[in-house]
Amino acid sequence: MDAVERANAEHQKRWAKDQKVGEGTYAVVYRGREVATGRKVAIKKIKVGLFKDGLDMSAIREVKYLRELKHQNVIELLDVFSSKTNLNLVLEFLETDLELVIRDRSLVFLPADIKAWTAMAFRGLEFCHRNWILHRDLKPNNLLISANGHLKLADFGLARDFADPGYKMTHQVITRWYRPPELLFGARHYSTAVDIWSVGCIFAELMLRTPYLPGESDMDQVRTTFRALGTPTEEDWPGHKKLPDYFDAGQYPKTQLRDLFTAASTECLNLLSRCLIYDPYKRISAKEALFHPYFSAMPYPTHPSKLPKPAKKGSTMPLEEFDGNVDFEGSGPGVRANPPNKLKRKLSSDELGSRPIARRLDFSQHS
Amino acid sequence: MNGESLPQTSRIPLYEGSTQFRHWRFSPEQLAETRSLLNAAAVAVIRDAFESDQPGSSSQVSFLSAEEENLLVKLYLGKIPQLCGIFRFPEEVEATAMSYLKRFYLKNTVMDWHPKNVMLTVVFLATKTTNYPIPLDAYASRIPKTTPGDVLDLEFLVAQSLGFDFTIWHAHRALWGLWLDIQTLSDIPLDDLSKAYDGALTSIRASRFTDAEFIYTPSQIALACLSIASPALASAWLRSKSGQGSDDAISAMLEPLKAMVLSQGSLPDVEAVREVDRRLRLCKNPEKIPGTNAYNKKVAEKQRKAEEKRLRKAELQRKAMEDGDPFGSTLTAQADLDDDDDDE
Repeated sequence: MDAVERANAEHQKRWAKDQKVGEGTYAVVYRGREVATGRKVAIKKIKVGLFKDGLDMSAIREVKYLRELKHQNVIELLDVFSSKTNLNLVLEFLETDLELVIRDRSLVFLPADIKAWTAMAFRGLEFCHRNWILHRDLKPNNLLISANGHLKLADFGLARDFADPGYKMTHQVITRWYRPPELLFGARHYSTAVDIWSVGCIFAELMLRTPYLPGESDMDQVRTTFRALGTPTEEDWPGHKKLPDYFDAGQYPKTQLRDLFTAASTECLNLLSRCLIYDPYKRISAKEALFHPYFSAMPYPTHPSKLPKPAKKGSTMPLEEFDGNVDFEGSGPGVRANPPNKLKRKLSSDELGSRPIARRLDFSQHS
Repeated sequence: MNGESLPQTSRIPLYEGSTQFRHWRFSPEQLAETRSLLNAAAVAVIRDAFESDQPGSSSQVSFLSAEEENLLVKLYLGKIPQLCGIFRFPEEVEATAMSYLKRFYLKNTVMDWHPKNVMLTVVFLATKTTNYPIPLDAYASRIPKTTPGDVLDLEFLVAQSLGFDFTIWHAHRALWGLWLDIQTLSDIPLDDLSKAYDGALTSIRASRFTDAEFIYTPSQIALACLSIASPALASAWLRSKSGQGSDDAISAMLEPLKAMVLSQGSLPDVEAVREVDRRLRLCKNPEKIPGTNAYNKKVAEKQRKAEEKRLRKAELQRKAMEDGDPFGSTLTAQADLDDDDDDE
C-alpha cells in the first residue's frame, strides 16, 4: 500500500458510521462517532463516482473552505478521507438547525434569544468575510445549532473567495427568499453585502416566525421585496437600473419596519434596516454589525446554553402554514409561533394589489 | 464583564491560520530530509516489488536519487504554464497547479507516478479549486493522447496527497498588494512603477520553479521579487512600513530568498533530465505497470481481501438470521468500521 493510501486508511479508521440520517442525490449523511473517544460526529459521504467531471464543485468548495476556517460559529470539519470512490467529510455533530427552532411552535423566543442567535450568525459571518470567503447560501436551515446552543454556519457548497476582484461571479446563488436585490437583478460583481442581506432576512424571520420575503419566483421575489421595503429610487440605490436583469417591478411606497415589527426595540430595527439597505455599498458590514448598539443594549443576549431548542429530535411536526404573532403573556414580550389555522386573518391586500409579504401582527384575538 | 470568563482568543494573523502555514511550511533542511526519506522508502518498496516479480532482478537497477526525482518534477512544472496557456486559464489556475504538483511530490515518488500524468490531473483539479471549472471532455480532448480517464484516475490520489488542502496563498497576489501600497507612497519615481511591477512578476513566476513557497511566506517572496526588480522601491516600501526602525533584519532575510529565485528559478537542462527519464523507465515500480507479475499479484491480493470481507459479512448475516433477527442484532463495533454500507 502506498504511503498516501496508508495515511488515508489511518484517517478512515478513526471514525465509525452508525446510522444513516439523511440521503440526497449525491450525498448520504450518517451519524457516527470517533472510535477512540466516542465523540458524536456527522459523516457526509459524497458519491464522487457519479460525477463525470470528477470531484464536484460543491464538494471541493466545502472541503476547501472548511479546511481553512476554524471558528466557534462555523461548523468544524474534523477530517476528510476517501473510501472506494466516495469522499467522506467528518463534521462536528450538530443537533438541530435554526429553521427547526423557528418552526417549533412550542418554543417562545425572548428578545434576548433573538439577539443571541443574530450575534452568533454575525460572528461566524464576520470570520468568513475576514478570510475573504463569501458564504452565498445563508438561510435558517444552514445555521446549525450545537447541543450547547452555539449557532454555526454550515454548508459551504456555494461559497467562494472574493480575493480576485474583477472576475465575474454567478448571480445564481443564495436561496431565493434570502437573495439580495442586486443578485435578483443579475449583478455579476458583488461582495460581502450579499450575505448581510441574507442575515437581515433571517433576523426578521426570527422576529416574525415566518419567512420575511417569501417570493414565489425570481421575478416575484423582486416585487415581494419592494412591497416590503418600498421601490428603491435612483437616489436610494444609484445605478441599479443598469444592472443586467433589471426590470420595472412597479412602484411600492416606502414602509416603516415599525409597522410590522411592533415589538422590536429601536436599536433592533435600526440594525435590521441597515442589513436591508438596497445599495450594497451602504449596507452594514458584518464587523460594523457586531459593534452595533443593539448588541450592547439591554437585554444582553441569552447565553447559548439557555436558548430555546426543540425538546425532542424528530418531534417537530411539518407545518403547512406559518403565521407570526406576538404573545404578550408572561413577563416580557416574547414571540411565539401560532398553532396552524388559529389566526386566519383577512388579508388587507387591496392596497398592495396582491399577496402581502409578511402579515401584520394582530393583537386583537390572542387567547 | 461578568458571568463566565470569555475564552482567551489571541488573534493570530490570518495567514497563520491557513493550511498552507500549518501543513506546508518547512526549513530547507526539513525539506531535504523529507525528500530523501521519501526516496529511500520508495526505493526499498520498489526493490521488493522487483524481487517478487523476478528474484535477483533489483541488483542491476539504478534507482533515482531524491535530487534526480526533483529535477524531473521541475521539468514538468515548466509544462504547466504551457498547458494553461493553451486554455488561457488565469494565472491563479497556473500558480495553484504548480503548487499542487510540488506538494504532491512531497508525498509521492516519481517512480510510482510519472509527473507527465500527474501534471494533467493537478491542472484539471486546480481549475475546479480556483473556481474556473471546465468540462473534463473539453479539457482532455485538447491534450494529445489523453483520455478523460487518464485525468480522473489520479484525481483522488492527488486530492489525498494534498491532504485536501486546496487553498493556496500566492505570492503574485501579495505582489499586487505591495504594488497598490507603493502607489500611495510619496516621493517615488512613478515612471518606473509599472516596469518594476512587470519585472517583479517575472521573478515571481520564476520563484514557482523553486522551493520558496515551502520556506517563505507569500509576502516575503513578493518583497524579494520586487527587490530583484527594483531595490529602491522595495526599500522605500519597507521604510514606509517600519517607520524609523531598522529594516536590516528583513533585508538580510531577503538575500537568500533572492539568491534562490535567481539561481534556481529556471527550467533544468533538458538533456540532464532526459537521462533521468531514461533511467526512470527501468526503475518504475512494477506494481504500477499492468502486465507485470508484481502488478498481477497486487490485484489478486486486493481481490482476495475483498472476497474475505464479503464472506465475513455474509457470515455475520447468517448468524443474525440464526439469532432470529434478520436485520442483524447490534453489530459489533468491529463490523461497522468497514465502509461496507456502500451502494456501489
